[in-house]
Amino acid sequence: MKKILTLLLSAGLMTTAMQAVSSPQEDLEKFRLYYEQRFPGIQLDDFGNGPYALDANKRMQWESMEEFPPYEEYVDKGREIWETPFKNGKSFASCFGEDPSKVRVKYPRWDSKTQQVVTLEGDINKCLKDNGEKPFGWKKGKIAHLGAFLGYEARGQKINVVIPDDPKALEAYEEGKHFYYAKRGQLNLACADCHVQYPGQRVRGQMLSTGLGQTTHFPVFRAKWEKASPDGDGMGTLHRRYGGCNKQVRARPFKAQSRQYRNLEFFHTYMSNGLEINAPGYRE
Amino acid sequence: MKKLIAAFGLTLLIAGCNATTPEKPASLKAQYEVALKNAQAAVEKAAAVDGEWRDIRWKKSKKRYLPSAIKAAEAGDYEKALKLLEIATFQAEAGYKQAMEQKNAGPRF
Amino acid sequence: MTKPTKRLGPAATALALCIGLVLSAQASADDLEAGKKIAFDRSKGNCLTCHHIEGGPLPGNIGPPLIAMKSRFPDKAKLRAQIWDATAINPHSIMPPMGRHRILSEKEIDLVTDYIYSL
Ligand code: HEC
Ligand code: HEC
Repeated sequence: MKKILTLLLSAGLMTTAMQAVSSPQEDLEKFRLYYEQRFPGIQLDDFGNGPYALDANKRMQWESMEEFPPYEEYVDKGREIWETPFKNGKSFASCFGEDPSKVRVKYPRWDSKTQQVVTLEGDINKCLKDNGEKPFGWKKGKIAHLGAFLGYEARGQKINVVIPDDPKALEAYEEGKHFYYAKRGQLNLACADCHVQYPGQRVRGQMLSTGLGQTTHFPVFRAKWEKASPDGDGMGTLHRRYGGCNKQVRARPFKAQSRQYRNLEFFHTYMSNGLEINAPGYRE
Repeated sequence: MKKLIAAFGLTLLIAGCNATTPEKPASLKAQYEVALKNAQAAVEKAAAVDGEWRDIRWKKSKKRYLPSAIKAAEAGDYEKALKLLEIATFQAEAGYKQAMEQKNAGPRF
Repeated sequence: MTKPTKRLGPAATALALCIGLVLSAQASADDLEAGKKIAFDRSKGNCLTCHHIEGGPLPGNIGPPLIAMKSRFPDKAKLRAQIWDATAINPHSIMPPMGRHRILSEKEIDLVTDYIYSL
């Protein structure tokens, strides 16, 4: 009798503990199911096309844009960066391996040695520093061009973020998840308020994209960034966009590659596991 | 008792002088110094929980209430400085409170 | 000015004056105009981000269209409370707490409330 009681008790305890923190896999399943039920008929991979998956009119404009995509010249620039040797004779291949199509899918990754999330941009600049080269800026320019090339080469592969069974990795994931769901800034808005609660609806003239598939096409060429750039270079990294979405709710943005944004990227990209990489993308 | 009366008289005198002296900025300056310390502490407290808002001191904000207050004080405009510090402090405290309220925020579909 | 409008001129002015008088019983036309300006201004109320409002360009559709407000909010104080802090009514609301976070001043909220109430 006693045994049964303890068994029942521990089972009860276990379920409450599990309710408190759901596993990343459970989170992912719920996240995906929510969008699939909300937008029946949209193919999983199509969520990676943001607002263009949700609105037929926008999709037509976008498809004609994709015939001569403005990001193409930056993919070419990225290829050049990849192939140009460093002063010491080595090149990016010495850090990332010879095959450029096998790079993008590894990021973001958990680095068990340094116990932190490492992004593609982080490893690009580490490679430069390790080889005595000057690191790139974090948000635009060369880092985004190289990212565009590596993304282009990886098109069609599936996002596959791995969260190892390491309490520190889970902690980083949980921090990123909390970031996505917590209201912040004077306007009191969470990422999820817009991208989970109201995707497909419009803020002013802009249609909100779904949180699912939101990172598959980064770096992105944005018409808005193109206009703001003196030489029409509209390319930008995911953390550039994070900063934009924090500013507009009047929260102080974090630095690109800060712990906060790397952990957010870890959670945010994990939620799109199984979707095709379609970088670089074009957006308004 | 005599002493007390004298002390009382002295305080009255000081208070009276203070009220009539034209050097009001001196006390405004003191107020400002206290308010600045409070504001700075509140901002650090909000920043420590990732709850800082955009317009308190971020370099690209157009308002930058905290650095603008310091600038106004340096130019001798303590009244303006105090007004700006009041906003900075309010925003810092509200940002901290918000972060605390959102501590358990999580998926909600 | 074409002839018909010229002739209409005085009549229109008189009409406008009458309407002005009627409205001033609640909020003056100037105040309503000021409230509208704050509601539409992107750095102030920015209500159009989420709400359709008659005459507002490029409205979003996150919240319900703001029409027939008197029938939905017979009590003006309740309307003001919704604008002052929507999260007091629904903690998860996406609507920014205009008063609680001092996005608008108390005076600005009064003006916006009067304007929204007139819709
Ligand atoms: C006020 C609503 C709002 C909030 C809050 C918000 N965003 Fe956005 N976000 C937008 C809009 C509008 C766009 C542009 C249209 C689109 O793609 O959704 C956008 C775009 C994005 C994009 C680019 C999508 C693409 O397809 O290129 C990402 C990534 C993103 N947001 C992430 C975030 C994150 C992370 C947060 C929280 C820090 C956040 N957003 C908070 C409104 C919001
Ligand atoms: C970020 C989006 C957003 C903004 C900006 C916004 N609202 Fe709202 N509002 C909503 C939503 C969503 C609701 C629905 C109720 C809720 O979720 O709180 C709402 C509800 C309301 C209601 C109640 C309507 C009803 O019939 O119940 C009023 C009134 C209102 N808003 C007025 C305003 C005013 C005035 C402004 C500008 C000062 C404004 N809102 C700005 C999103 C917004």
